[in-house]
Amino acid sequence: MPDAHAWARLPEQPALEVGVTVLAFLCAVRLARWSGNNPFLNPTLVAIVIVVALINATGVSYATYLRGAGFIQFLLAPTVVLLAVPLYRQTSLIRASGGLIAAALLVGMPTGVLSAVGIAWALGASQSTLLSIAPKGVTTGIAIGISEAIGGVPALTAVLVISTGIVGAIAGPAIQRWLHVEDDRVTGLAIGIAGHGVGTARALQISEVAGAFAGLGMSLNGVLTGVLLPLAMRVF
Amino acid sequence: MLEAVARVLVWLGLGEILMRLGLVPVPGPVSGLVLLYLDLLRRGHLPEDLGRLADRMLALFGLLFVPAGVGVIAHADVLRAELVPVLAAVIGGTVVTLLATVATLALSHRWVRRGRTDGDRIEEADARA
Repeated sequence: MPDAHAWARLPEQPALEVGVTVLAFLCAVRLARWSGNNPFLNPTLVAIVIVVALINATGVSYATYLRGAGFIQFLLAPTVVLLAVPLYRQTSLIRASGGLIAAALLVGMPTGVLSAVGIAWALGASQSTLLSIAPKGVTTGIAIGISEAIGGVPALTAVLVISTGIVGAIAGPAIQRWLHVEDDRVTGLAIGIAGHGVGTARALQISEVAGAFAGLGMSLNGVLTGVLLPLAMRVF
Repeated sequence: MLEAVARVLVWLGLGEILMRLGLVPVPGPVSGLVLLYLDLLRRGHLPEDLGRLADRMLALFGLLFVPAGVGVIAHADVLRAELVPVLAAVIGGTVVTLLATVATLALSHRWVRRGRTDGDRIEEADARA
């Protein structure tokens, strides 16, 4: 029988945090499928709720959890690189859609930043929260860098980015149906620009075209915002 | 399969180095994405293993955001204090962005299609004349 000290060190074993996260996501995927893909049962959202409940129940700190679950987070960077594959498969369609892509970015990028900051400012958010909110529509890795550069709280930005992606994943397909959008390029671009990677994960389920254009919208929006937002902040 | 993994990690690593050298103002994964895309364009075909790796990993994309999302517990105090502005910005801002983007593209689409149908009608009229 191991002593109490050995039990206390259990959370230091990455297999535990990785396992809990994977199992929570597996349950979330099953639940989503069982509900007929109810948009509010977004697997990322449900998995987060399950893990948060478990952490709160066991009293493990987020830092300890992240030390193990960081192994999952590490996979995010190479997976973003792999978005080049659906893009490559859709190269001819992308080449033929230059105007559409440019129009989407021209409208989506400034709307994403200004609407979020505007709403939070009107409702009295603090300066540091406003700066953390500004890059929330951009994929996690880039958003954290922007937040750091403009004086926000990077870790808070990460949470806001994920929440934004979940809202995009839920609202995107709903808006697609509501406005009868038949062109998956349009749906993909909008979801990718408004809801980055979490939205792209959802768009990949709609069709490969939607997924590729979401990845494209996410990447271009990320790069443009990453370059322009810190510059704009320096000017104002 | 290992070759596909290596290819991804090499472009990702190069992207990280480019950013740290200050040569490009974008994070490593985005440079890596662009570099892998250019690599594929240059080769002119998609290696089967790389395609399979991408399909497998992208199917799990949603899982990879869970650890960062769980960070919500580390910021519970800030979020509770400014819950209304933060929630309104996240939900409202995202829905507004989706609507603005979709509406713009739908309008430009209709505009292009109308232009094209007008053109067809003119051609038909020309043909009749």
